[in-house]
Amino acid sequence: MVRLVFLGKFGEMAPADLSEVTLPGGVRTLSDLQAWLGEKAPLLARAMAATRTRLVLNQEVVHDLSRVLVSGDEIAFLPPMSGG
Amino acid sequence: MQVRIIAEAFDPQAEAAAFCAGRDDTGALVTFCGYCRSANKGAAVAELRLDQYEGFTEKEITRIVQEVAGRFSCPDLLVIHRVGVIKPGEAIVLVAALGTHRANAFEAVKILMDYLKTDAPLWKKETGPSGARWVEPRAEDYARRQQADKPEAGAA
Repeated sequence: MVRLVFLGKFGEMAPADLSEVTLPGGVRTLSDLQAWLGEKAPLLARAMAATRTRLVLNQEVVHDLSRVLVSGDEIAFLPPMSGG
Repeated sequence: MQVRIIAEAFDPQAEAAAFCAGRDDTGALVTFCGYCRSANKGAAVAELRLDQYEGFTEKEITRIVQEVAGRFSCPDLLVIHRVGVIKPGEAIVLVAALGTHRANAFEAVKILMDYLKTDAPLWKKETGPSGARWVEPRAEDYARRQQADKPEAGAA
């Protein structure tokens, strides 16, 4: 079971049943997760691909999409930020 | 150094006064306060909503402030950022720097704001009579952010 957090506009596009999910056997890495989201929520996946999306794994920014996920992980998807 | 993410309205003047109260080791206080406007690009704004990513937002802003503090040798820096629903006229953000001289304090505040615009994990939604829209950084915000990374930026 992993926890998915969709921030900002992604939060409005994400289906509610995606907040806590048991990933299928073939979904091992962040890259696999992105591909899986493409099937589960195509509109959301397209929106994420079309903008500067940052990934945060357990509260740390990640760039390496080959990172392997384990049960209990929290993965957040961040659209462009607008502070100030 | 203080970073506070708060959900209630605050008084920027009172916060700035409290920040430098009792300090006799600094020669300058520079503050910037950003407010919610009642119109943006000609469209009326009824309210703003700022979302955070609990825990991560404060951690990231703290990291940015630490980086700027190191670069500009400011004795102290303060960032207060609102989240939640903000009405026109209310303060959104207060950035304050204490400096031994004015130049470093001015530059620290400017560079901090340049970073916050694009790198603070906050998401802004504007609501007006014609509906709601997510606000994203403008091209000039990204350009300023890129400029802020250069070592010569803010060289005093």
